[in-house]
Amino acid sequence: MRFSPGRFFRRVMAMARKEVAHVRRDAGMLYLAIGMPLLLIFIFGFGVRFDADDLPVVVVDEDHSEQSDALIEALTASGDLEMVEMAEDEPAAELALRSNRAVGALIVPHGFGAIRQRGGTGEVQLLVDGTDGTIANMLLANTESLVLATSLREQRVMPAFAVSVSTRYNPAGESAMFLLPGTIAYVLALVSVLLTSLAVAREWERGSMEQLFATSVGTLEIVVGKLLPYLALGVLDVLLALALGALVFDLPIRGSLPMLALGSLLFIFGMLGQGLFISIITRSQMLATQLGALSAMLPSLLLSGFLFPTDNLPLLLRAVSVLIPARYLVALLRSVLLKGGGFLDVWQDLVGLLAFALVTVAASTASFKRRIA
Amino acid sequence: MIPFALVQLRALITKEFQQIAADPRLLRLLIAAPVIQLLIFGTAVNFEVDVVPTAIVDQDRTSTSRAHVDELMADGTLVRALDAAQPDDALAAMDHGDVAAVIVLPEGLDATRLRHRPAPIQIVLDGTDVRRSTVAASAASRYFAQVDAPPPAIRLVPRILSNPTLDTQPYMVPGLAAMVLVITTTLITAMGLAREREVGTLEQILVSPIRSPVLLTGKVLPYAAIGLLDTGLALGAGSLVFDVPMRGSLVFLAVATMLYLLSTLGAGLLVATVARTQQQAFMGGFFFMIPAILLSGNMTPVLAMPKWMVPVTYLNPLRWFIEILRANLLEGSGFRELWVHLVMLLLIGSTLFVTALLRFRTKLG
Amino acid sequence: MSGRGDIEVDHLRREFGKFVAVDDVTFQVPRGEIFGWLGANGAGKSTTIRMLIGVLEPTGGDALVDGISVRKDPFGVKRRIGYMSQRFSLYPDLTVRQNMAFFGGAYGLSGKKLNDRIETVARDVDLTELLTAKTADLPGGTRQRVALGTSLLQEPGIVFLDEPTAGVDPVSRRMFWDLIRRISGQGTTVFVTTHHLDEAEECRRVGLMVDGKLVALDTPAALARDHVPGTIWRARAVGIQAAVPLLVGRPGVLDVQPFGSELHVRVDGLPKEMLDDWLRPRFPDLTLEQGRATLEDVFLAVVGHQEET
Ligand SMILES: Nc1ncnc2c1ncn2[C@@H]1O[C@H](COP(=O)(O)OP(=O)(O)OP(=O)(O)O)[C@@H](O)[C@H]1O
Ligand SMILES: [Mg+2]
Repeated sequence: MRFSPGRFFRRVMAMARKEVAHVRRDAGMLYLAIGMPLLLIFIFGFGVRFDADDLPVVVVDEDHSEQSDALIEALTASGDLEMVEMAEDEPAAELALRSNRAVGALIVPHGFGAIRQRGGTGEVQLLVDGTDGTIANMLLANTESLVLATSLREQRVMPAFAVSVSTRYNPAGESAMFLLPGTIAYVLALVSVLLTSLAVAREWERGSMEQLFATSVGTLEIVVGKLLPYLALGVLDVLLALALGALVFDLPIRGSLPMLALGSLLFIFGMLGQGLFISIITRSQMLATQLGALSAMLPSLLLSGFLFPTDNLPLLLRAVSVLIPARYLVALLRSVLLKGGGFLDVWQDLVGLLAFALVTVAASTASFKRRIA
Repeated sequence: MIPFALVQLRALITKEFQQIAADPRLLRLLIAAPVIQLLIFGTAVNFEVDVVPTAIVDQDRTSTSRAHVDELMADGTLVRALDAAQPDDALAAMDHGDVAAVIVLPEGLDATRLRHRPAPIQIVLDGTDVRRSTVAASAASRYFAQVDAPPPAIRLVPRILSNPTLDTQPYMVPGLAAMVLVITTTLITAMGLAREREVGTLEQILVSPIRSPVLLTGKVLPYAAIGLLDTGLALGAGSLVFDVPMRGSLVFLAVATMLYLLSTLGAGLLVATVARTQQQAFMGGFFFMIPAILLSGNMTPVLAMPKWMVPVTYLNPLRWFIEILRANLLEGSGFRELWVHLVMLLLIGSTLFVTALLRFRTKLG
Repeated sequence: MSGRGDIEVDHLRREFGKFVAVDDVTFQVPRGEIFGWLGANGAGKSTTIRMLIGVLEPTGGDALVDGISVRKDPFGVKRRIGYMSQRFSLYPDLTVRQNMAFFGGAYGLSGKKLNDRIETVARDVDLTELLTAKTADLPGGTRQRVALGTSLLQEPGIVFLDEPTAGVDPVSRRMFWDLIRRISGQGTTVFVTTHHLDEAEECRRVGLMVDGKLVALDTPAALARDHVPGTIWRARAVGIQAAVPLLVGRPGVLDVQPFGSELHVRVDGLPKEMLDDWLRPRFPDLTLEQGRATLEDVFLAVVGHQEET
């Protein structure tokens, strides 16, 4: 039989129409497709930030001198550290840390004032609660720069350099700018894999998949036809997320929209293919969702560069992350949205996305064929 | 009446395990997946930004400027990725994502110094990743502040308790275990009950003299057992592979885990009372899990959330359990320090469970 | 089977909002009887059963099932009866034995007692060889037998079967009714609904529901006598259906109903010869045999009468 594009297209559309009818009858799918971007944009826009101010600290002043008072005043007035209580001694301060009332303790040791009066270097101790490393690092960095600034002010010496720092793309230093482009990729990853893995596994459970085999529709036509309506939902998600990001969080769109569309479409196609593949091999909703959640939810979050930079990964996992399509979309979206990146900046990402889409659709078609045979 | 209920409970549990055994793929998934995930993501999570690719624009081109650049790179945080003649070339590289910082050393460094004026240094940062730009800025400022400076007036002497090297794994891996656990337990209970509804076996159970508390207990106990097993495996793997210390009491840990499972399973049940199909159950479960995981304080600290969001996290069982795990494993804390956390877990769990029970009952009428 | 094994329904009523699904129903079923409960779709049959098995609370009246009030002690009722729903479902992924063990456990059976009951019931419903089969692999009729067996595990005094033979082939249906008779012969009361009226003839007595009301209750023969007066003649001939206009409206003809390839002509004291005279000219191969009113006639007569008033 010769391949006829016209007939292929007609059959794909017939499959797609049937699938659209499914989606429309199933309000749950629409809730997922619309609710997920709302929820995630909300969480990553408002709730998740990398930097904290007002880190709660306890203060132990063993010196009780004019100098120690001044130092404590200087360190806690900035808003980076917030003094929540004064403690008598070090054990008392440690207890405060262990019961999570504070994340660190500033201890001005006995003799601090005397040393400073002699012009020597006064030491101030910082006890850090190491149970949350993120907070601990933040506390260390903040306190260190506060101490440095105070020290320089007291010395009244002319610095050798005047350092001026300017920040591009995200001058206000908002975590949201970093997170929102990745959030769009994450939404798409979740919605696409979950929708398809559920939808098709359910058809297996109900036996309506066997019926399809009885018809003369080709496998590739079935696969593509099944994906199309979900592709539309995915596009809806992109638009929704972009609109929300722009309206509520002033997320800029500095690059070209076609580039954005191309990257997103390739990505959605690949993730849909992944979901389809899962549901074809599992044929059970319970299994398909577990696998779908496992393969999309955490990898797209943790191995994609969305939250953690990928160049921090150990070599083996860096190799794994090459296989995580979200990685390419996260990079592409950041570049296009925040930096106005064009084709030359993102072509590698596009290639990665294209490859993934081709592989998953081919894998679904192949495993589908095997099922029928 | 008690033996009667126990017989029923045993029948329910046996049936649940028989069903799991009928599909060994599910069992494998329930037991192996959490551990494997923990191993992968445990290796992946690493917050330390140790490397910032940097472009140097050395317009001075003297031995002094070269010496400064070398010393600036000495501690390894800033890594020289590009030498550019013009600031514009360096900025183009930043646009392309090759470098994350640009440092411009102006012409005539020595001359400026001789005139006792501070030499202007320009630093341009890629602000997309706030954490990285902060690290780069502080590394550069710290270096330039100490050049030719007298001994400082004040010096900070930090001492870090319980995780002195601040490795990421000891505090992230316990949280990851909790996250992975919520996926298995919540989704499976929600979908398990929804499946019985879809197939029609639920109606058959409801006409039998099984009372709803017995039914729901029988539905969650097998998964509680699997969850407990998963926790043990995950923490075992965590301490073997990632050197997560286990300084606290295991009994305390077991109690806390059970209270935690009470709430994740309770959430699953509650979802199941609302959902008519497995698909709805899955989505319901998902809409519980996603915020619970992301707002748990594991990947980004609760302290960094806006103030109005913090009370919301009080309702999140994951948040309490992660704090318990960290404090118990790293600091050896127990009932004395963490009783509030246990009480919160108990409150959340029993509220979820009782609500599920009540909803379940009224829906039968 | 220590209980009384009977059912006493007293002004039972159930409303859903303004809609009255079961309207003031009163009747008794003695121990060991096969009692048929008939009605059109939506008449309120399943709703009645759901109240009698303690799942649905009546909004009025009460019923004593095996001597226990469904109002006061629905759980007591649940423990004493067996029930097979319109859509009895077994766990498809479990074996027949695992299914039975589970539902037996739900009724508090365990250990040797449970095993003995499974063996006995499996023998009663002819399933012994199939105990280790996976339920999903069984044909529909067999699955219904498993379901029936499962509802008998706890030795209930009464079983409620809601359309147990819906969607089952005729051979399996006959087998199923053999089982029902066997159970009733052992002293178990059987309360059964069905849309197959030929099956209902097997019941000792039947109750007929129309729009939530109990409009007739008696043995099938007595119902025929009371609700379908006159004599029924079964006319058989080629193309006999065409005779309907010839007969309708003639004096003495009460009703004319096509019935398969026959025509059932119900007459009031009209002699057979008269009918023969009317029809023979057109249908030379006519045969006339006296028939008995079936439940179907009763059903049509009663429902038709209800709709007129
Ligand atoms: N939970 C309910 N809420 C509202 N209406 C109900 C409910 N259950 C039943 N009904 C209505 O009560 C009426 C009687 O229903 P029931 O299921 O008892 O009929 P049935 O005689 O068993 O019919 P069938 O032969 O179709 O099984 C129907 O009109 C039905 O729509
Ligand atoms: Mg019914």
